Amino acid sequence: MKIECVQEKLQSALSKTSRMTGKGNSYPILSCILLEAKNNTLFIRATNLDLGIEIILPAKVEKEGKVAVPGAILAQYIASLSSGRGVLLENIQDNLVITTISGKTTIKCISNEDFPVIPKIPKDISFKIPIEYLTRGLRSVWYSASISTIKPELASVYISVLNGMMYFVATDAFRLAEKRIQVANVPDYKPILVPVKNVGDILRVLEDTQGEVEVAFNENQIALYIESIYVTSRLTDGLFPDYNQIIPKTITTKAILLKNDLVNTLKTATIFSNKFNQSKILIDPEGKKIEIFTKNADVGENNESIPASVTGEIIEMMINYRFLLECFQSIYTDSVSLECSDVKKPIIIRGVGDTSFMYLIMPMNST
Amino acid sequence: MLLDDKQLWESVLVDIELSFPRAIFSMWFKHTEILRQEDGLVYVGVQSEFVKTWLLEKHHKTLLKLLREKSPGTRALEYVVSKNHDVNKKRDIPVPTRREEMENTLPFEGLYINKEDNLNPRYVFDSFVIGSFNELAYAAAQAIIKKPGIVYNPLYVFGDTGHGKTHLIQAIGNALRSSGPSRRIYYVTSEKFLMDYVNALQNNKVNVFKESYRKYDILIMDDVQFLSKKEKTQEELFHLFNHLSDNNKQIVFSSDKHPSYLPDVESRLRSRFSAGMVVEITAPETESRVAILRAKARQLHFEVSDETIGYLSNLPENNIRQLEGILNTIFCQAQLKQRELSLIEIKTLIKDTQKPRKAVSVKEVIKTVATFYHLDEEIIYEKTRRKEVVKPRQLIMYILREDLHVSYPTIGAKLGGRDHTTVIHSCDKVKNDLKTNNELVSEVEQIRLLLK
Repeated sequence: MKIECVQEKLQSALSKTSRMTGKGNSYPILSCILLEAKNNTLFIRATNLDLGIEIILPAKVEKEGKVAVPGAILAQYIASLSSGRGVLLENIQDNLVITTISGKTTIKCISNEDFPVIPKIPKDISFKIPIEYLTRGLRSVWYSASISTIKPELASVYISVLNGMMYFVATDAFRLAEKRIQVANVPDYKPILVPVKNVGDILRVLEDTQGEVEVAFNENQIALYIESIYVTSRLTDGLFPDYNQIIPKTITTKAILLKNDLVNTLKTATIFSNKFNQSKILIDPEGKKIEIFTKNADVGENNESIPASVTGEIIEMMINYRFLLECFQSIYTDSVSLECSDVKKPIIIRGVGDTSFMYLIMPMNST
Repeated sequence: MLLDDKQLWESVLVDIELSFPRAIFSMWFKHTEILRQEDGLVYVGVQSEFVKTWLLEKHHKTLLKLLREKSPGTRALEYVVSKNHDVNKKRDIPVPTRREEMENTLPFEGLYINKEDNLNPRYVFDSFVIGSFNELAYAAAQAIIKKPGIVYNPLYVFGDTGHGKTHLIQAIGNALRSSGPSRRIYYVTSEKFLMDYVNALQNNKVNVFKESYRKYDILIMDDVQFLSKKEKTQEELFHLFNHLSDNNKQIVFSSDKHPSYLPDVESRLRSRFSAGMVVEITAPETESRVAILRAKARQLHFEVSDETIGYLSNLPENNIRQLEGILNTIFCQAQLKQRELSLIEIKTLIKDTQKPRKAVSVKEVIKTVATFYHLDEEIIYEKTRRKEVVKPRQLIMYILREDLHVSYPTIGAKLGGRDHTTVIHSCDKVKNDLKTNNELVSEVEQIRLLLK
């Protein structure tokens, strides 16, 4: 293989692909990036057998061929080069030799024979949406997914399309986030579950891309086609719980307050939190306020009150303030509303005037 | 020599392991298995799309050649991403869970019941123990899953409480849903059906009610015996039934009695219940109980000695739910004490959970049998030889002798001063009849149920 390409493009492609290489050294081939030169194009591939990525770069190919290079080393090296210049890559025996204007580098390679083939998911079942929709949807909910893999369906982000609305949902059985995004010309699909640990990697690949993404899937695998990038991930096999039934139907107390006030108060609470991250929250319609009380027997205690417009009954419940704090990364309005029905029922949090996002938290035991 | 799937695949893997480096073997071949074989076509289950693509592109020829060597009938080889594989789980590094936080936060309630079809995903065939007591019901269920609405419609499952009726019928629903996600399936208890109907009546929305039930492709109704005496609801179910069965929609019922013995249910509904397939789930016999207890213990990850299982399976309880309860109690105690319990400890532990056998009086037997055959109690004692009286009388004698172990002379005396030889003759006659007359068998069973 002998090719020449532009440093910046190579760097950006390598930084995306090198993240998806396998960790650990049980399968050395997985920690490699495969470079394949063919028809004036450079294919860059990486996989950890859970996720796979392929990026296509235009390049000047002098000699076609394939080489498997340790991913982290190649990515680090290319990133260290000064930008704007061409780099020449050539494999000589078992080494990849990289020549720039100022120097020459040799990296040891591994036999590319055993490099996995990245499965191509045909576009039989697929739809196109702006990339931004996908990233917004995933980002709004993925932190709520379970971190333990005991229940794989909860360690996943649920995506479904129904009546022109795309639903992104994640829950760990203690809190739940749902984001709805209106999509045009997308028919209904059977829900799919994307493992949350792959969602992070997918989001990073999508980071600085623009335009549309074509989402294709089959029973086991999802694939994203974005111009020159192809990403594929395993899907979780399982049944996502029907979360609609846990949304409280009757609301007895509703409070509206400024998001910043609440966020700042909750941040104060972190100083005095105990090991349960427990805070007591009092919603008081008479005093038109919300009080947050946090106590740690070893450190001290803190009581803050926030002005709020409250309707309904007075209610006092224990919550995990960290769960509450986390949802504000997905709420962009200035005011937020808290709706409660019972001390044992979930609290609903929404941005005022924003119906696309909903967050539920279960209260804690008051003991 | 014919090898079974597992042996065949193992012998193939041995050859592969020898000819490839270890890392390659464990990466691509280790977690594969033969799922099934059909006319020389071998389906190999793999854990992901990656493995499937790789085996197809790189090792297909080698694998096929090896398979043909070991099993000459092999024609072709297909790879299937199999669902049961959870090797991905094993690869994950265990994340320290935030136990302390979680402990105190209440989890969402009822998150796991699917609202759309009301089915509990916990009830699946994987966790269903099959024994001679329920194999017929299981076979019928499997037939329905293959051809819903066509083979047995309706399926009517009956049996005593705690024998796994609900598990079976919910598992039918879950299996049908996974084989055809677009099917509209609905599981409802007869009580819920009744409430829905009453609410619809109150709100003048009977039409909405009718429509809402008629749209289903598969309707599963649990505990229909509760509809007894609810005439209007029965009528509604009758119409619903006709509508669904006319459109070849599958219906599944469960109850604690055979349709013919459902009290206060209109005969036209009763005959419809029996129109498809009526199967009984009887009490599990000892072997099945052992299997059930083992399966349950495995679920709990609880090591139980064979001795304990043997003892538990011979308890007079024939209710699976109670057996599970007993096992749970033992499990909790064992966890608390952090050691295995001895048999004596177990015996004392479950002393209270076993219900004392109810003492049935002679009078009660007579009364029950008489009511069962719609006779006056007095007529039993009379010296009449009318056929409709003789049969119940003989049955009473039989039950008193077999179940309550009353002596022949006492039975004779209690039943209007009859000779003990008469009683002996009656008992033998019933015994003989039971060998040939199935109707009688089920009648005796029904009566025994009533006596419990």
